Order: sequence, then structure tokens, then C-alpha cells
Amino acid sequence: MLERGLALALLAASGVYLAHALGLSPGTAARPGPGFFPRWVGTFGTAVALAWVALSVRRPTPSAPVSREGLRRVLATLAALAGYCLLLPWAGYPLTALLFVAGLLRRLGAGWPGALAVALAAALASYALFALLLGVPLPRGALVG
Amino acid sequence: MGPLEGLLYGFAVALTPTNLLACFVGVLVGTVVGILPGIGPVGAMALLLPSTFALHPATGLIMLAGIYYGSMYGGSTTSILVNVPGEAAAVVTALDGYQMTRRGRAGAALAVAAVGSFVAGSLGVVGIMLAATWLAEQALRFGPPEYFALAVAGLLLLSRLGGGTVLHALVLVALGLALGTVGMDPVSAVRRFTFGSTQLAQGVELVPVIMGLYGVAEILLIAESGVRRAQVTTVRLRELWPTRDEWRRAAAPIARGSVVGFLTGLLPGPATVLASFIAYVLERRLSRTPERFGQGAIEGVAGPEAANNGATAGAMVPLLSLGIPFSPATAVLLGALTIAGVQPGPLLITQRPEVFWGVVASMYVGNAILLVLNLPLVGLFVSLLRIPQHVLAALVLLLCLVGAYSLNNSLLDLWVLVLFGLLGYGLRKLAIDPSPLVVALVLGPIMERTLRQALFMERGNLGALLGRPLTLALVVLGLLAVLVPPLVRLVRRRPLAAALPGPAR
Repeated sequence: MLERGLALALLAASGVYLAHALGLSPGTAARPGPGFFPRWVGTFGTAVALAWVALSVRRPTPSAPVSREGLRRVLATLAALAGYCLLLPWAGYPLTALLFVAGLLRRLGAGWPGALAVALAAALASYALFALLLGVPLPRGALVG
Repeated sequence: MGPLEGLLYGFAVALTPTNLLACFVGVLVGTVVGILPGIGPVGAMALLLPSTFALHPATGLIMLAGIYYGSMYGGSTTSILVNVPGEAAAVVTALDGYQMTRRGRAGAALAVAAVGSFVAGSLGVVGIMLAATWLAEQALRFGPPEYFALAVAGLLLLSRLGGGTVLHALVLVALGLALGTVGMDPVSAVRRFTFGSTQLAQGVELVPVIMGLYGVAEILLIAESGVRRAQVTTVRLRELWPTRDEWRRAAAPIARGSVVGFLTGLLPGPATVLASFIAYVLERRLSRTPERFGQGAIEGVAGPEAANNGATAGAMVPLLSLGIPFSPATAVLLGALTIAGVQPGPLLITQRPEVFWGVVASMYVGNAILLVLNLPLVGLFVSLLRIPQHVLAALVLLLCLVGAYSLNNSLLDLWVLVLFGLLGYGLRKLAIDPSPLVVALVLGPIMERTLRQALFMERGNLGALLGRPLTLALVVLGLLAVLVPPLVRLVRRRPLAAALPGPAR
């Protein structure tokens, strides 16, 4: 299931890649252009992806089992990551980091007081370390200005 | 500069206060990430890569290299004491190391692991000194065809040695090569595969890819398994120094492990993991009492621990002498070099001797620091495992998110991080090693550039490339590695299947 999905996704990606690569100029053999190497890579990639799809149907690689609850926790973590990426430009770093850590900890099994305490400390400490000490221009957010 | 003169000069560089501090920070961070599950050496190196921007190239490289070999010490500590390998290269150490702990010989196992690592690290430095200077001299005669053949052979060998099936590895190689072509073509300035994005025109960054595959993926696995807390035992060290008999039995495995590790490190692939497995199997084969293995045989700790440290030294050779990384860890080091504006390649030794010799000498210094740091502070390090796993997971993710963003201040890098975290998680569930993707992503642009230069040189005649003896030999070597099932696999098959705890490598 997992393997077949991954193999099909990569096959689709190789197809898109190859189609795009064929649109780039290959140049001549003595003066290879921007499309020369991508063509080879795209052909090779499509071939091995196709072979992988075939293999995943005929002789699937066993994947480690995932419990329903485990899968939910993985999806929640991914949702938190995606939420961070979406929120960062709007809410700015300190608030986004606070919400990210607190939400994730709560979902992974911590109580609200503990989750909020750790999140507050993590957001402030990381902001102080990266933005103030190391000079990383972390976004302050459109809402804050 | 001869090797001895060079090394002396290197010590002068490595022992300046700044570089000594960088070395100390590196090995300390390495020890900590080696102990903590969820973030391995490669992810940690990627995380700290942006912080080396402001440093001198030698200083940055000294710190990152320190993380790499420092993690080998840390990984063994938790393997031995609590049966939780902090990272993959310490998995076999747990087999006999934890049994020794259960028999009350934890201190002996830790001491032998630390001394074995130190011996292997020191011998490895001598190995780098000789092998890298020799190889760099040879490589001065290499042209684009040789570099192209080297990269091809490296990728083929990697897909064979990386563990798992060749097909899976080749798929990842293709994906890595494809990602390497995204962005502005350096020759014609044509934008490729950018789909109109100005951020993609700069190419796919290595750091978020690595942090996704090695950091986020690992955290997703921790999230899946739920909150568990390791059983932490307290160890009193004074009473537990190895006996004379234990030293005697460990000596030869340490020597063999050092050599095996260094040689394995020269080959493409996840060298440290492979080296520790080979050393373990070797010791069991050579032992007159193989039945003691798995029951707390000190040889089973000494050999692999020496080997994984030796491998970190071996892996530095192709990087420092050819400018070609064959493992994800050295790929990060190459990234640090290029960002700092140092041209990697055979001229590194003569043009930037402070970088080459400084790093080599710092590895010696770092191993000495680790030996001093590890034995007395073992208890402190192990108590790091008392940090609840979900807190660790959230903090590591936050660090990855900040680290990926700080590279270019780009939101795109954040999405790359998440996407490759998901991909890495899927690969772990299928027990597929992600290193071919990382190495191909780094080698891809090198391959394309050298192939185009070579074809230009030979006026488009691909056959003429094979007419050069070295390119022919390298391509044949690579093809042999893929087509002939190598001995390594035979040696590894049975014991590996038993030793690997499922897909969570």
C-alpha cells in the first residue's frame, strides 16, 4: 500500500520531469545544452520508477505495521508542521512557535499546563538565541507589523 | 609540505583558542545527538551548517566534523547502558554491550568502547594523512572524464552497499539527480524545472532535504510509537574498570576494527553503519568461542566501536582529497566548504593547508577530548534520556523549522523540509536507506558539469571517454558492483537480518 503509493507518486513525478526535460534544448553532442543531462536523468528515473511500480505489485516490500492511533499521531504532527509553515508569515515567529510546540505537546500526551510552559520557554529561548543572538531575520509577522 | 610537517602545522591551527572551542562544541553536540534518539549526526550537522557562515572555513569544518565522530561515542553509551542505540552505527554495540551491563560490566564496556574509538580515531588520522595526500597527488592528473566516472562509480557502488535492494537505491539516485538539476543551468542560465518560482531558480537546498529525511522523519517515527521513557540505570564507574583479561581480549578486535572501519569508510554508502556490522561479523567469525557473542562478549563491543569511528576518518579521505562526498555526512561537510567559498578538490591540501591539516589535526584533538569527556561524564549524558520523548520531539522539530528557514529566509525551504520528512518517514517504514538520494543530490551537479566539459573536450565522442584507462576502470568497477552480487552481501545477510531491529534504522 505505502510502497505502491510511493512508487506511483515517483512515477508521476518522473513523467512530469521527463516531459519538462524534453522541452529544454539538448544542444549538440559536442556542446551539450541545458536539456542534455536532464533527458538522461528523466529517462533513467522513469525506467526505474516503472520497475519499482511493477515490483511493488509483484513482490511488495513488507512495511512495518502502523497502529490506527500511531497513524493519527503522525498525521497530527504533519498537520502541526504544515500549520507552522502557513501561519509563520502571518503570525510571526514567536507566536507561531508557541502555538506549534503547545499544540503538538498536547496532542502527543502532555497536559495543558506543562505543554504551555514548555512552549513558552521554547519560543522565547529560540527567539532569543536565533533572532537576537545569531541575527537570523525570523519573521515578526504581518499581523504584528 | 610533507605529511609530518603538515600535521604539525595542523596542530598549530587546531590548537588556537577559537578552533579548540569549535572542536569542543562539535564533539559535545555530537555526543549529545549520539545519545538522543530522534536526531542523528547528519541532521545535527545540517542544523548547524548555517551557523558556520560567519566562521572561518577551517573553524566551521572542525566543528561539523566533531559532531560526526563525536556522535559515534555518544551512540555507544546508550546502546550499552539502556539498550537504546542513539543512532544506527551503534545498533550492533547494543547486542553485547547491553548484555555486559546486565552482568554488571557496564563500566568495562564503556571504557573499551571509548578507548577503542580513540585508538581507531587516532589510527584513522594517520590513515587520512597518508591516503588523502597520496590520492590528492594522483587526482591532480584527473580531468572532467575521470571526475564524471568517479561520480558514476560512486553512485553505483552506493546503491549496492547501502543495504536494501538495488532497485530502491537506484530510484533514490534518480530522484536525487533530478532534484540536482532544478534551478538555473550554470552554463546557459536557462531556468529548469522552476515552474515560475524565483526561489526554485536557486535550486533545491541540501540542508532542508537532509533535515527532513534524517530529522523530521525520525520524529514522525517517535510520534507514531507514542510516549515511552527509557529505563535509566545508574552506573557506578569506579568499580567497573576493565580487568586485565578484558583488555587482552579487546586489543586485537580494536586493531582489526580500526582497519576494517577505515577501509569501509573509503567506500560510498552509510559507512559507519556498515563498518560496525562488518566488524561484528568478523569478530564472531574469528572467535574461538563464537557462542559468547550476544551474551556479553567484550570483543563484540570493541570491534564495532573501533570500526564506526575508523569509518568516520575513512569517509573524510574522498572528501578532502577529491572534493567528492560519498556519504550524507560528508555531503554536509562539502556544503560547508562551498558556502565558505573554499574550492574542494585535490588542490585543497596545497591551496588551503590550514583547512586540510587543521581539520585532520582537530580530529586527533577531538578524539582526545572525547575520551576525557566521556568516561567521567557518562552518568550526566545518560540522564539526558530522562527528557520525555514528546518534549524532545517538539523541540527537535522546532529547531529543524528554524534551521531550515534561517538558511535563505525562505518559506519554500520549510515546505521542502516537511515534504522530505514525509518521504523519509515512508522510506523508514519500508526499511529503505535514504542516503543514495542525498549523495546523488550533491553529486548530480558535479556529474552534469564534468560530463558536459568532457563531451566538449572530446568533441562529443562518448566512446573516447572510455578510452582513458582510469575512467574505464572506474566504470567497470561500478558496473561490477551492481551486476555481481558482492561478497559483502553474503557476509551480511544472515547476521544482519537477526541484528537489525526492523525498519527503525
